[in-house]
Amino acid sequence: MSARDAILAKLKGAAPDKAAADALLIAPERPAVDTGALEAEFLARLALPSVSASHDAIDTVADLPAAVARYLAAQGEPHTLCLPRDPRLSACDWSGFTLHEAAAPDEVATLAIARLGIAETGSLVFETAPQAPMLPNFLALHHIVLLAVEDIAAHLEDAPLVGAQPRAHYWITGVSGTTDIEGTYVRGAHGPRFLHVILLRGAVG
Amino acid sequence: MSGFTDRVDLALADRILKVAVERTAGTAEAKRAVAVDAFPDFEAARDRAAAIKDHVVAHLGAYLEQFEAKAIAAGAKVHWASTADEACRIVIDICKAAGAKSVARSKSMLGEEIGLPHALAEAGIGRVETDLAEHIIQLADERPSHIIWPAMHKTREQVSALFKAKHRSPHEEETIAAMAESARRELRTQMLGADVGISGANFLIADTGAVCTVTNEGNAELSLVPPRVHIVTAGIEKIVPSMPHAIHMLRMLARSATGATLTQYTTFYTGPKRADDRDGPEEMHIVLVDNGRTKMREEGLAEMLRCIRCGACMNHCVVFRQIGGHAYGGTYPGPMGAVLTPVFDGLKQSRELASACTLNGKCQEVCPVRIPLPTLLRGWREKSWREGLEPTSMRWGLGIWAWVARRPALYRFGTGVAVRVMQILGKKGWISRLPLAGGWTRYRDMPKPAPQTFMNQYKKGRRT
Ligand code: SF4
Repeated sequence: MSARDAILAKLKGAAPDKAAADALLIAPERPAVDTGALEAEFLARLALPSVSASHDAIDTVADLPAAVARYLAAQGEPHTLCLPRDPRLSACDWSGFTLHEAAAPDEVATLAIARLGIAETGSLVFETAPQAPMLPNFLALHHIVLLAVEDIAAHLEDAPLVGAQPRAHYWITGVSGTTDIEGTYVRGAHGPRFLHVILLRGAVG
Repeated sequence: MSGFTDRVDLALADRILKVAVERTAGTAEAKRAVAVDAFPDFEAARDRAAAIKDHVVAHLGAYLEQFEAKAIAAGAKVHWASTADEACRIVIDICKAAGAKSVARSKSMLGEEIGLPHALAEAGIGRVETDLAEHIIQLADERPSHIIWPAMHKTREQVSALFKAKHRSPHEEETIAAMAESARRELRTQMLGADVGISGANFLIADTGAVCTVTNEGNAELSLVPPRVHIVTAGIEKIVPSMPHAIHMLRMLARSATGATLTQYTTFYTGPKRADDRDGPEEMHIVLVDNGRTKMREEGLAEMLRCIRCGACMNHCVVFRQIGGHAYGGTYPGPMGAVLTPVFDGLKQSRELASACTLNGKCQEVCPVRIPLPTLLRGWREKSWREGLEPTSMRWGLGIWAWVARRPALYRFGTGVAVRVMQILGKKGWISRLPLAGGWTRYRDMPKPAPQTFMNQYKKGRRT
């Protein structure tokens, strides 16, 4: 008998009742979020010590390069950027920047568009796609994220996609941190040491 | 003296160990308390978490089949392993077929449980541990001493010396930040050059076939995105019906483990990379591992299959805080380890673990899925007595029920580890703070005097 058959033979039983599984999710206990003030709620979570992301705001996507330049200058970093091949980003005027698509092992900064922001936790939601690589977001020292204010949702339950799933659906809630030496918190264990969110008041396009 | 008693003696005499364990476990305890206070109705949330897991365990076979079908549809290959050896063999075969010289591994307790580091070494495959703590213990050639902080037993001074001896360009400044930076430098290129990435799973999502990992360091993603092959080894109990179920469990896991509202990096991987994706592995393999779990379900340990490996029970355990994780001798330390180790290593070798417990009930009080750990530990004690595994001297005069019923007997039971820990706590003036007497009566399911005698009830029943 194969291991599969042996295991399943021991686990024979009634098929799960979808209604019973769904009933386990009625009115879940979760942090309260003021749905009338999602932006303020989201920004409050971003500021928590466990997330400690900085933020800026712009009115249109055309303002994005200036906001990125502002951030990098404030950090004393060169205007060098890993930019995914996303038409919404390439449409901007990046003159003055040195751009590249693949992240270097010692990448300084990368830019990505979040599909959603989650007010409950201050999380940013991403999915892999041809225009959205994953590695740069985990490699660069500065992770810069564009998020449309209209894409801020209340709870984590708002994040899952319905239907076909991408290779990776991921939530980022802060920077790469560790407490592995004596429980002391250190930022930038492996990946980003800084997370900077640029809120877009208009639509991403 | 047995191995366990020896290890406990060594641990109790080790002042440095106590400082190290206390620093991390103490912080974890305090942070969890703040997070739980801030959460609305944490007690009801624990009930829900336990109910979700019980539902899954009751329908485990059907959920596994659903998960398998969805994962295959997404392009993953699903493998099944009844034993630890079988699981390792499957992983090694995949690595060999991929021509792998090195693997990047993202911390997984299941990997430790099945002995994967050892199996990789035997197969001559290089291993890069990417979690900082696992990296520390790999350099030190030790085993994890905690399921969340595997290097909890090491002080900063010890880590510093280790990195200076082993890193190519070690830190100069004696700060924890500089040490972490040294590891970052050391690991980055190794991680990016690995042929295979191996992870565990925090959750398996039945209705999408996704595998969920959570890390604070982002090392799982760095280990799993660049290599051509991604292998997941997961215990069969990791299933949840859907993402929303996983979300409830993730809220509980983060708060119970580190006191955060959510772990920094939470990723759901569904199959290998899609045709036009810019990165991601070309192959994804998922190894579903039984290794005693179906037996636990059948033989009275189904509640233990609720465990989400948060580590809260050990952080709050007075014995763990005194002896650290290595003294337990198994893969899993602390109260949950004392329940699990007899499953993996046999009761004969590990029967003393259950008696190293003060039964103060603290572990059960903080467990996010309400596992009745003291009751399960007592179950092992009883089995050990039934099977005659206790030393003869211990069996004399103390009937199997007498020791349960008589509290002083408990303190003399077994190796007396609990007693020695108590003595230490007593000397430090801690004992008054421990809810010992209360804990005993509150959490033991000692036969409670019935409000009426059986005969009275019987007669009443007959009358109606
Ligand atoms: S037994 Fe409970 S408290 Fe301990 S690790 Fe498992 S889930 Fe966490």
